[in-house]
Amino acid sequence: MAIIEVKNLHKVYGSTVAVDDVSFEVEEGEIFGILGPNGAGKTTTVECIEGLRRPDGGSVSVLGLDPVRDRMDVRRVLGAQLQESELAEKITAAEALDLYASFYPSPANPAELLDDLGLSDKAGTRFEKLSGGQKQRLSIALALVGNPRIAVLDELTTGLDPQARRDTWHLIEQIRARGVTIILVTHFMDEAERLCDRLALIDGGRVAAIDSPAGLISRVSTEQTLRFRPSSPLDETVLSALPDVTAVSREGAHFVVSGTGNLPYTVITTLAAHDVVAAELRMDQASLEDAFVAMTGRSFEPEPVG
Amino acid sequence: MSTLTKITTVESKLFLRDSTSAVMTFAMPIGILVIFGSIGFTEGDNENNVSAGFLPVLSLALAAAMLGLSVLPTVLATYREKGILRRLSTTPVHPANVLTAQLLVNLAAAVVAAVIVLALGAVAFDIGMPDNPVGFLIGFLLMASSLFGLGLLVAALAPTGKAATSIGMLLFFPSMFFAGVWTPGDLMPEWARPIRDVSPLGAGMEAMQSAWEGHWPSATNLLALIVVTVVAGAVSARVFRWE
Repeated sequence: MAIIEVKNLHKVYGSTVAVDDVSFEVEEGEIFGILGPNGAGKTTTVECIEGLRRPDGGSVSVLGLDPVRDRMDVRRVLGAQLQESELAEKITAAEALDLYASFYPSPANPAELLDDLGLSDKAGTRFEKLSGGQKQRLSIALALVGNPRIAVLDELTTGLDPQARRDTWHLIEQIRARGVTIILVTHFMDEAERLCDRLALIDGGRVAAIDSPAGLISRVSTEQTLRFRPSSPLDETVLSALPDVTAVSREGAHFVVSGTGNLPYTVITTLAAHDVVAAELRMDQASLEDAFVAMTGRSFEPEPVG
Repeated sequence: MSTLTKITTVESKLFLRDSTSAVMTFAMPIGILVIFGSIGFTEGDNENNVSAGFLPVLSLALAAAMLGLSVLPTVLATYREKGILRRLSTTPVHPANVLTAQLLVNLAAAVVAAVIVLALGAVAFDIGMPDNPVGFLIGFLLMASSLFGLGLLVAALAPTGKAATSIGMLLFFPSMFFAGVWTPGDLMPEWARPIRDVSPLGAGMEAMQSAWEGHWPSATNLLALIVVTVVAGAVSARVFRWE
């Protein structure tokens, strides 16, 4: 069942079209990604879902409610983690969570939530003294403290170091395991590929495609590439004659073999039959980024991380 | 506990943790009282028509002006700049609750500062108490409300917390001049006196001064304070942006 429905959403700021025509549905219990470069209209789209902005055209429905007209009801079931939203410098983590818990009819236990997010030992620490990753986790905790059915997380890992990003990803998977439906806004390809069940590629205020990450990639290319250095001299024709192989080329001492189907198995067993071992073996597949480039006709340039 | 009570409790804690606002609100008026009280300024200066009540009135006016023109707008503009008001917009609670809580906290701080100053003045420097306490209270509260109204207006217009501090200071220094802080009583130039009668700080100080001497504040002073409160409050309510 669709828990969120966005139909032909259109939003204009002055003379700038932020969102041209965006439609998608989010199913209950999934992690739905909204992926696209800066200025694609991702944040505006989720702000319309959160009820922070009024659409200029189209409709948004959250659990059958209108986020603008039924803002109160929507806010009780939807937790939002906003991009670049801070807290008062001198408020402690526990105080902030207690305060926000008091805003909701049946909140989560703030102490348990701090524990779940690995912030127990920071409960008495002021916001200004928390690290970037800790601030983000507190921000997620605030989005979850009302026991929402839907959590909207916007640019969650921007500015985090690699370890903190991985920890945050793990956390999001835990939240989903509790039955919370998640909308994840990101411009990181690896993040979308790792976390999302389905995602909408947005570019220039329009939806370029909606599918699972694997589905999007397979639309672009089903080809794989193997690159290796044979342990002993090898005739190229041995490989190019194989049914799954479409091309073989050489880069110095390395072979580059492209093909479809069960390429790795076919190539490795053939090499073994010729008593050749594939050293420095690497396998490449098309990535989400390749899919994006193919579908929008332009390169995807994420902003510098900082 | 109601939501507003809860927010007000948290905001009071944050107010007290911020050493700058605590110093401005409590240490400065007490300091003025102690320093000028110690050098015998409390005797009054009949030659220039400076009354004995000038010192406590000045201390209270400065405390209220710092709160209204500096602390309040800086905090609110910073909350908006940092997206705190915006984050609240995503919860079932309207960010106006934070604004109300801030007004309550700042008003409470002004009242506490006033009580300390009056008590210290009476006990340590024998300044005495206002002869018309009700008139004094009315003058004080209206002065605070007009200054807070201006503070809300600054918070509504300032794009950032830093800008709010600067605009607040730009209002603060002329306010002090027109209130006669540097040129009390008859020392103030003729041309500036009509402005003193209607500027929030000037009108407030005149109102409290009259009440100190046992009179009722003049209608001009009270009316000016009410007009500033209502106009500044109404305009800021219209133009205040939550994000």
